[in-house]
Amino acid sequence: MPGVDHCLQEAMTIPGAVGASIVDYTTGFPVATTGAAPNSDHEAAAAGTADVVQAANSRSLFVSAIPHDLLEDLIITTAGGYHLLRIVQTEFDSRLVLYVWLDRVRGNLAVARRQMQRLADELVTT
Amino acid sequence: MAATRTAAPGDLLTQVTGERQTGALVVSGQPGGAVYVFEGRIIYAESPAAPGVGELLTSSGRLAGRTWQSALDLGTSTARVGRILVEQGHLTQGELELCVLGATYDAAYFVLSQPAATVDFLPGATHWLGAVVHIDAAAVGREVRRRVALLDDIFPNPRIDTAPVIPVTRAPRERISLTARQWELLVHADGQRTPGDLALLLGRAGYATIQELRRLAALGMIELPVVRATEAPEFVRLPQPRGAAVPVTRPPGNPPGAPVSPAPPVPAGRNPDPAPDRRRTAPPEPAHDRGRPAQPEPAQSRGPTAQPEPTQSRGPTGQPDPMPPPSPPPPGDHNTGLNRPRLARRKPGAKLPKEIAAAESPPVHQGTDEVLLKRIRTALRALR
Repeated sequence: MPGVDHCLQEAMTIPGAVGASIVDYTTGFPVATTGAAPNSDHEAAAAGTADVVQAANSRSLFVSAIPHDLLEDLIITTAGGYHLLRIVQTEFDSRLVLYVWLDRVRGNLAVARRQMQRLADELVTT
Repeated sequence: MAATRTAAPGDLLTQVTGERQTGALVVSGQPGGAVYVFEGRIIYAESPAAPGVGELLTSSGRLAGRTWQSALDLGTSTARVGRILVEQGHLTQGELELCVLGATYDAAYFVLSQPAATVDFLPGATHWLGAVVHIDAAAVGREVRRRVALLDDIFPNPRIDTAPVIPVTRAPRERISLTARQWELLVHADGQRTPGDLALLLGRAGYATIQELRRLAALGMIELPVVRATEAPEFVRLPQPRGAAVPVTRPPGNPPGAPVSPAPPVPAGRNPDPAPDRRRTAPPEPAHDRGRPAQPEPAQSRGPTAQPEPTQSRGPTGQPDPMPPPSPPPPGDHNTGLNRPRLARRKPGAKLPKEIAAAESPPVHQGTDEVLLKRIRTALRALR
């Protein structure tokens, strides 16, 4: 049975993964972390992650008017890395996002995105 | 041995986790709650102000109430409820862990943010859910302090966290934009429900509810709780007039005789105009409202329960209180309450009374076929 820790271990097997965490984006708190974090601070990274998700969720520019057209991924690229955020949709109330930090040279954005989609789905489906 | 004392709950928690003890840290007071520790690490926390794992899973429709109850019946005595749900295929391990983590941090905020309370440590006690997650106590402590600060950044008025939520009669500006959660709260706020009631009703985390309410207060969309003029306890909770039924031009000063009859609770979701007219008739001045929170006494800035005022002034409406209101409801009215049957306080792990467990009442805020479909789907999944 894949639990939270297993999910993060799997995320670290994505080519180029440097660190991964699951973040509660209401409070900006990392509920589970593994590997490295930008500036070696998972909590600060989580708070930043939450800000980004909140911004994308609340600014009308990104919010779709179509029902159930919800936010899925957020991808931020920097010169040195990729930061991928995948919303974990649970039926019960939780506001969680799976965050993976990839090395730019070793990482492949398309592969990583597919894998994260699978991981986030596996976490909550039987 | 059980140590009872008045202390900051966080300090005793640090002590027992430092000694790698196992047991339950029971904090009394408002709202109170308990933190369960297993060999020095937190496995669960619960508080009346925060929906627990069962409430989150059933009110969202993820689990049928029957499924949850049968897992409780099977696993309570052996503290394996969580494992049973996963083994029977009702939940994935991931879902269970995420749900428990969320509920634990949520309840921990309410239990541990009180600066001082009567704290009991019951060694050896464990929670019926079983040890699903193991959380470092220091991380919880840090997070609780951070959450307190976050709320004050939004809108520093802790009374909002406990007082009944009253949407303003008139929006303070021409155009307002709300998030889905804020809309949910405004639609279901009927002038009586406290933030805790709303969290339970909607199956949302207690802290997230408070956070949205503080944002709504900052927007000027809910009335700011006023300190009661009379310090006497409230014996009868008069029904608040509901928006649509009351002319907005009604003069202030509720005629005390008029609305005394306990009106049958109406699901607020069906109410076209959720804004009740309570103590104002003029559209509220947002600038005036904004000015008010600058005045509260400094002692309040710690958290929702930090007010040093006498507890009686809170009255039955002041807290997300699980106890029934002072006026007993008519017999047979148990299941038609505001959100769910108001039960007497149970011990952790105690079963629901039989009649209530049998007549499993659906959450009132449904009303779409979607919820029904979801329940059918869950039931089918359970049969597989």
